[in-house]
Amino acid sequence: MSAATPKGVLTTPIFKNNPIALQILGICSALAVTTSMSVSLVMTLAVIFVTAFSNLFVSLIRNHIPSSIRIIVQMTIIASLVIVVDQILKAYAYEISKQLSVFVGLIITNCIVMGRAEGFAMTNTPGMSFLDGVGNGIGYGFILMTVGFFRELLGAGSVFGFTVLQPVQDGGWYVPNGLLLLPPSAFFIIGLIIWVLRETHPEQVEENEFKMKENTQPKEAV
Amino acid sequence: MAQSNNSIKKILTVAFALCIVCSVIVSTAAVALRPMQQLNQELDRKTNILSVANLYEEGMDVEAEFEKITARVVDLRTGEYTDEFDPDTYNSFEAARDPASSRTLSGDRDIAGLSRQENFSTVYLVGEDPDDPEQIILPIRGQGLWGLMRGYISLEGDGNTFVGITYYEHSETPGLGAEVNNPRWQAQWEGKEVFADDQAVAPAISLVKGGASESTEVDALSGATLTSRGVTNMLKFWLSPEGFGEYLARFRGEVSPDEAQDADVELESEGA
Amino acid sequence: MGIRQTLDNLEPHFHKGGKYEKFYPLYEAVDTIFYSPPDVAKTTAHVRDGIDLKRIMITVWLCTFPAMFFGMWNAGWQANMAIADGFASMDGWREAIMMVLASGHEADSLWANFVLGATYFLPIYLVTFVVGGFWEVLFAIKRGHEVNEGFFVTSILYALILPATIPLWQVALGITFGVVIGKEIFGGTGKNFLNPALTGRAFLYFAYPAQISGDAVWVAADGFTGATALSVAYQDGMAALSSQWSWWDAFLGFMPGSVGETSTLAIFIGAAVLLWTKIASWRIMLGVFLGMVVTSALLNMVGSESNPMFAMPWYWHLVVGGFAFGMVFMATDPVSASMTNPGRLIFGALIGVMTVLIRVVNPAFPEGIMLAILFANLFAPLIDHFFVQANIKRRLQRTGVPAEETA
Repeated sequence: MSAATPKGVLTTPIFKNNPIALQILGICSALAVTTSMSVSLVMTLAVIFVTAFSNLFVSLIRNHIPSSIRIIVQMTIIASLVIVVDQILKAYAYEISKQLSVFVGLIITNCIVMGRAEGFAMTNTPGMSFLDGVGNGIGYGFILMTVGFFRELLGAGSVFGFTVLQPVQDGGWYVPNGLLLLPPSAFFIIGLIIWVLRETHPEQVEENEFKMKENTQPKEAV
Repeated sequence: MAQSNNSIKKILTVAFALCIVCSVIVSTAAVALRPMQQLNQELDRKTNILSVANLYEEGMDVEAEFEKITARVVDLRTGEYTDEFDPDTYNSFEAARDPASSRTLSGDRDIAGLSRQENFSTVYLVGEDPDDPEQIILPIRGQGLWGLMRGYISLEGDGNTFVGITYYEHSETPGLGAEVNNPRWQAQWEGKEVFADDQAVAPAISLVKGGASESTEVDALSGATLTSRGVTNMLKFWLSPEGFGEYLARFRGEVSPDEAQDADVELESEGA
Repeated sequence: MGIRQTLDNLEPHFHKGGKYEKFYPLYEAVDTIFYSPPDVAKTTAHVRDGIDLKRIMITVWLCTFPAMFFGMWNAGWQANMAIADGFASMDGWREAIMMVLASGHEADSLWANFVLGATYFLPIYLVTFVVGGFWEVLFAIKRGHEVNEGFFVTSILYALILPATIPLWQVALGITFGVVIGKEIFGGTGKNFLNPALTGRAFLYFAYPAQISGDAVWVAADGFTGATALSVAYQDGMAALSSQWSWWDAFLGFMPGSVGETSTLAIFIGAAVLLWTKIASWRIMLGVFLGMVVTSALLNMVGSESNPMFAMPWYWHLVVGGFAFGMVFMATDPVSASMTNPGRLIFGALIGVMTVLIRVVNPAFPEGIMLAILFANLFAPLIDHFFVQANIKRRLQRTGVPAEETA
């Protein structure tokens, strides 16, 4: 991260160093809020806002934060931002904030926010930190929206609330997949996204932790 | 720099300053946005009430439409209206938690799985004349499969014929129990009857499998036996003399309040 | 003679540099169905098993036949009984075949019942085999290894635990999930920690509950609702259960349910062969059985006024639902079960206990064996770990050789 460029910090978190798919952070909220795309979108915006501004503020005062209480300082900043976001959503997007329920509040515990504040903003300039926050928020949102797309399309037959596949309950032909309305289904989708990402970015594949004994090779059956 | 950052004085200063700044921001946001949020909550509640009465349409002026509706607080024990509480602020869920304003339900009497029931509840009356309403909207709640389900039912002015049912809060299985809010399922409630005959005290309404034939039967949710059972139980509870039975008696005409009273006493002694 | 020659003539095309090099796994699969493989395992051929997998798998496959044939007859019998009671039969191509082969819905004709059942079961099995086989071959070609015979067993087991009326596209989706997510992404046969057939069924169970659970799916007659023995007991209590079916009905399998799971007797015939040939572990079966007996006895003693399932005795647990099928064919899957001998007992017991707990205590799922086995699958490596560690320690004490590293 020494030679960080503005464009770099903004775009690497999307595919190359995705907070969910590679760093495996922030999974819990990705499971909970992705049943529909509009909710995912609002959650994404909320997280982008919080990561960007928490990074900015932490970076602004990074030279004055005593190292003994730095985690608490970061937490306080993040928590304040989250409460503000929560209040705004309740006031201006009540329906969606009802669906997001506690998960807006739980952005506080989202490891991405803490991780970027501690890992990046503490050692970088405010401008770069802000962009890094935006970038990571987008990376998080990219996964969220993808998961939300599949879950809403296959689970309820709609995209952003607009019916695409008419479900049988409403006289159509599509039998909605109930599994995708349950939170664990996000695990499968995230897993498949990670699979795709690692096919296209082979450098993300971890080293084997152990080597298995050579199998008899079936290639040459003589 | 690093040295001075870790001095006690610096730590205290930073912590203090940060707390001041953050608390000011947070409380400003909370106070400034509060009226807006309350408005939203109110609007949400009113929308739910309107939709159970089949009065709600997308994009309508909820406040104006809600003018048609009168809220009253009812004493569930006697079925009489009370002016002890303001219907706009009275919260029956809080009342149900407070031992002073509620009673304990146990065993056979607690078919809806509530364990405590409030003494007073808010009802909503649709129409110009609250004494002869077009619709009566009652709050119901009870255990479904996974947890408490809360909703409203709406009856016609005769206190017997259903207009609709809606749940605004539940945690039933998506695709099965959660179909309680499927408009197709909700639509078949219209015209169903609570009681089998005019003299009956115990509600007959129930969800049945494999095709409802009587006017007091509604098709169960397919594949969701336990949610259906929960819905039946909470209706039987809230429409019985334990719930709104006493209150509904005044609209049903045929049954005089005295008779209902007697039946109630019998029922309770059976339960005891 | 012809087959060997044809295969030998074709063989060069599939070797390195040949025209069809990519499709070697397909050639290999066909070749070894007819003849034993030319090369013998020098090390462990598969992670958990060093013996000829294909022979084992075909034996297991044959062992499911009593349950399968009985299941087909029973599915037809249940439907014909309902049709005799005035329910309409399901129209469509099944009915056409039925009319050609059996010319009517005679509930007391062995042949008519069997044909009707077969028109439901065989398409399910065919779809399972084709779709699942497609994924197997795709991954085999992509990874350059031979097609694993384990799929023979997976496919028949999967087909047998579905209700007869399940839509075929759901069958295809389920086996896809079972094979790809349940097995291939972990590296294929031998490396999967979940039973692929059950993974596929679990997927369908949560994705399309309306077509795989409830009361309307078990009998192939239009509009007929017939609860399985388990849900009758669950909803109306033991008295309702025993008034509808005698224990012998349940043991022999004359009741609605998934195709292969109804007849405990037919399953036990398969079990006898599996135990006699030592293919299935008797320890796992015993563990499942004991775990079930002890837990149900315990719950019988505890009792409950509101939950009639508490009163179900062990001999009923044994014959209703998928318990026997799960115990004999699913729990004993050598790959996803524990592999240490004492571990197998514990693994089995965990399944037995969990099955009864899910059946009795959980409000949502009347059947518990599927979830119990998947749950125990997750614990199998952990159970093994403890016994392997214990063995290492014991050996250390005996030989006195200090360990290179302490765990």
